[in-house]
Amino acid sequence: MRKFLVMWQKELAGYFLSATAYLTMCVFLAVTGWTFVWTLSKNEAPGDPLTVLIAISVTMWMPIVITVVTMGLFAEEKRSGTLECLLTVPVTEWQVVMAKYAGAMSFVVVMVAPTAGYLFILPAVGVQVPSLDLGSLLSGYLILALIVGFCTAMGLLISLLTRNQVVSAMGCFCAVCVPFVMGGVSRAVPQPASDVLAYLAADEHLLGFARGMVDTRPIVLYVSGTMLVLFLTVRVLESRRWM
Amino acid sequence: MIKVDHLVRRYGSHTVLDDISLEVQRGEVVGLLGPNGAGKTTTMRVLSGFLPPTSGEVLIGGYDVVTRSLDARRRIGYLPENAPLYPELRVLEYLAYRARLKGLHGRRRRRGVQKVLSLCGLEDVRKRIIGQLSKGYRQRVGLADSLIGDPELLILDEPSLGLDPNQRRDLRDLIRRLGADHTVLLSSHLLTEVEAICDRTIIIHEGHVVASDTPRNIAGALMGHRVVSAEVRGPRDQIAAAIESLDHVMESEIIGEESGWFHLRVQCAKDVDVRARVAAVVASNGWELRDLRAEVDGFEDAFIEMIRGLNQA
Repeated sequence: MRKFLVMWQKELAGYFLSATAYLTMCVFLAVTGWTFVWTLSKNEAPGDPLTVLIAISVTMWMPIVITVVTMGLFAEEKRSGTLECLLTVPVTEWQVVMAKYAGAMSFVVVMVAPTAGYLFILPAVGVQVPSLDLGSLLSGYLILALIVGFCTAMGLLISLLTRNQVVSAMGCFCAVCVPFVMGGVSRAVPQPASDVLAYLAADEHLLGFARGMVDTRPIVLYVSGTMLVLFLTVRVLESRRWM
Repeated sequence: MIKVDHLVRRYGSHTVLDDISLEVQRGEVVGLLGPNGAGKTTTMRVLSGFLPPTSGEVLIGGYDVVTRSLDARRRIGYLPENAPLYPELRVLEYLAYRARLKGLHGRRRRRGVQKVLSLCGLEDVRKRIIGQLSKGYRQRVGLADSLIGDPELLILDEPSLGLDPNQRRDLRDLIRRLGADHTVLLSSHLLTEVEAICDRTIIIHEGHVVASDTPRNIAGALMGHRVVSAEVRGPRDQIAAAIESLDHVMESEIIGEESGWFHLRVQCAKDVDVRARVAAVVASNGWELRDLRAEVDGFEDAFIEMIRGLNQA
């Protein structure tokens, strides 16, 4: 446990002690803020609740954010050779993978959390908003966290498969986009395939949760999916097949 | 300390290490030599626990590197080729981080880091960012890292890479000092370095161990003779002939002179030490002797010849 904490701390320092991280955060908040205002302006009565708008505004930038955060996690350590140093000290592969995962997730959470503030800024600047459902807000962010957790794990796995950050970024972006296009694909294919795909559609889950409809099935899906991908990452790291 | 039994390592269909067996005793300083691509780095990666063997067994201090990996790694200080480091960290931060990963905390960590900083001459650059250091300093940071926590076994892959001649000499002294209470396995391109530091040399070629002995014996075995050098003061025309008349001496010649002292190069049979008899013959003639030693200068030639022979075979 102590070694996990040491490595996690190192990962956090890597994010939060660099100017690029703060620049990324600022750009992200500016872009999501702009997207939110834009969706708000297009949202005519009766329209969607604010919690849905904020969830959409944040989620549409998530593939890029997750790609940027995860692309270098293992690829850079492999390229520079520091992975060799890391794996020859007495730490387990699980500790290494979990520390990297926890570091990336911490950064994304810190980056995304302030977006909830937009909803409270609106009344402060004099925009008329309908009353806010806190439950929907929380459930929306819960499913967002689960989806991001799953996608970050995928990004971590992909960055372990290559030593080239560009390849890692492209692979990660494609993989992370898949859950978000499932909804569209499910509407285009006949049954019963469409039912299966709809169950996997991240966009559908997001809209449901942001409206306050909490369903345990997507929770189980993302938690188990994340664990499976992390397990695969550890196995790949143990095999050193792609070193 | 190290026991390798029928080690095979393949990358895909390419066999890098083909049935390697070797043993290194506690307290030995062993050099791993071989041309590029011979499998030195792969051997060290397997020993350090970074790469699993395709087949065969590797024991470090009695622990299998695959099944008891953590126990084995706890005993090893490993310096990978080119000393990879995090360029964004400061020297002190990096070493402190590595110390914590190796299980040193609090006062033990501070003391451990301080010790390796002074051992490797890094005190002046402790606050510098690693990315801004010269290659020589980075190499020393890597070496300092491998020494943290005083591991029983040091595995150093090309430790002198990128060092200037002065630093190389310092490193040689440091490794010799470490050799007193550590087991050291190092690889190097510099034959003179291996000769000067190591008790024993293991030569690898195309994934096989082709020789394992002291540099002097390897040279002797391959060159078919040994070389003794001596400095003698006496009549120039008699010295060489008197020594050449000794049993087992094949050739004796004067290769230099310095204010009356003649520098002799004596070639003799490989399994005989003629030094005592050279001294005796000088004394019995009433000449003076001020230097007498067995040379290992045949080692480089022997190594090159051996590799050439293997490549032709």
